[in-house]
Amino acid sequence: MQEFLENINWGIIAPLFFIQGLLLIFAILDWAKADNFRGPKWMWFCIIVFINIVGPVVYFLFGRRRN
Amino acid sequence: MMQWMTLFNKEMTENWRNKKWIWVPLVFILLAITDPLSTYYMPQIIDAVGGLPEGTIIEMPEPAPAEVVAMSLGQFSSFGVLIIVLTSMGTIAGEIKNGVAELILVKPVAYKNYISAKWAAHLLLILVAFAVGMFASWYYINLLFGDLSFTSFLFILLFYGTWLLFVVTLSIFYNTFFKTPGLVAFFSILTIVVMSIVTQIFGTYLEWSPNNLSNYIFEMVRADDISSQLVGTSIVTVAISIVLLILSIYIFKTKELIQ
Repeated sequence: MQEFLENINWGIIAPLFFIQGLLLIFAILDWAKADNFRGPKWMWFCIIVFINIVGPVVYFLFGRRRN
Repeated sequence: MMQWMTLFNKEMTENWRNKKWIWVPLVFILLAITDPLSTYYMPQIIDAVGGLPEGTIIEMPEPAPAEVVAMSLGQFSSFGVLIIVLTSMGTIAGEIKNGVAELILVKPVAYKNYISAKWAAHLLLILVAFAVGMFASWYYINLLFGDLSFTSFLFILLFYGTWLLFVVTLSIFYNTFFKTPGLVAFFSILTIVVMSIVTQIFGTYLEWSPNNLSNYIFEMVRADDISSQLVGTSIVTVAISIVLLILSIYIFKTKELIQ
């Protein structure tokens, strides 16, 4: 594993994590300001934080109630 | 035209407010680059987690740029289409359901403006997101796998863009058909799946089926040549989209008049 981590060029991989991070941050920011959710608010927090990529996407698609 | 711009701006603000302009491009970038990157690092990943005996040498042929383009497009054709359909399923159906459409349409708003402004706003979002995602893929291809010219990149955008145009228009079409967003998504996906099956079965007769676009684009990048099939298929795809758009305006009009 050690060797694996050393073999990877982080300059190449970093943007991938950066974009995932951005997605997470924007989802959290949106979540923090909103109050009309489908289901409990804490549940959406768990979905956003613990499910990688898919969590924020599912939140953006289904998390908020339209009004 | 003034009215159309107002409606279009309303859609753009709405897509901005519900953060679609942020998350859709981000997700499209991830779709475009995840496969190429994991392919590039596959030997190391297997090495690290595979538990293979000491000294095993893993050799994998490095994919050609055309194959990597096909990987990215493959992701757009599956998850990308899913996201397009899910983001647009409520755009009209949802507004009819919660009464916003009624509020707008009591004013002297032309139906064709209402539908086409929504269509254009969504199409713009998807095309920009796709361009951003594909640009990331193009960047990595040149960095890791070999040369892919900028002209090829632009042609990929142009030709695959017609497929996305079709998907967006199809979704808008079903939006005018059903009042429930879930049904819109279901029938849009169903139509695309059925089309792809039909294209596979009757491949020899349906040379210009929109579902063939990805394959022809792969060929274009591989051979560095724009085939007549690719041009023909794109024209057919655009033509179907225009017909669908006109049909959706017509359906929406008749439906509203009945109510």
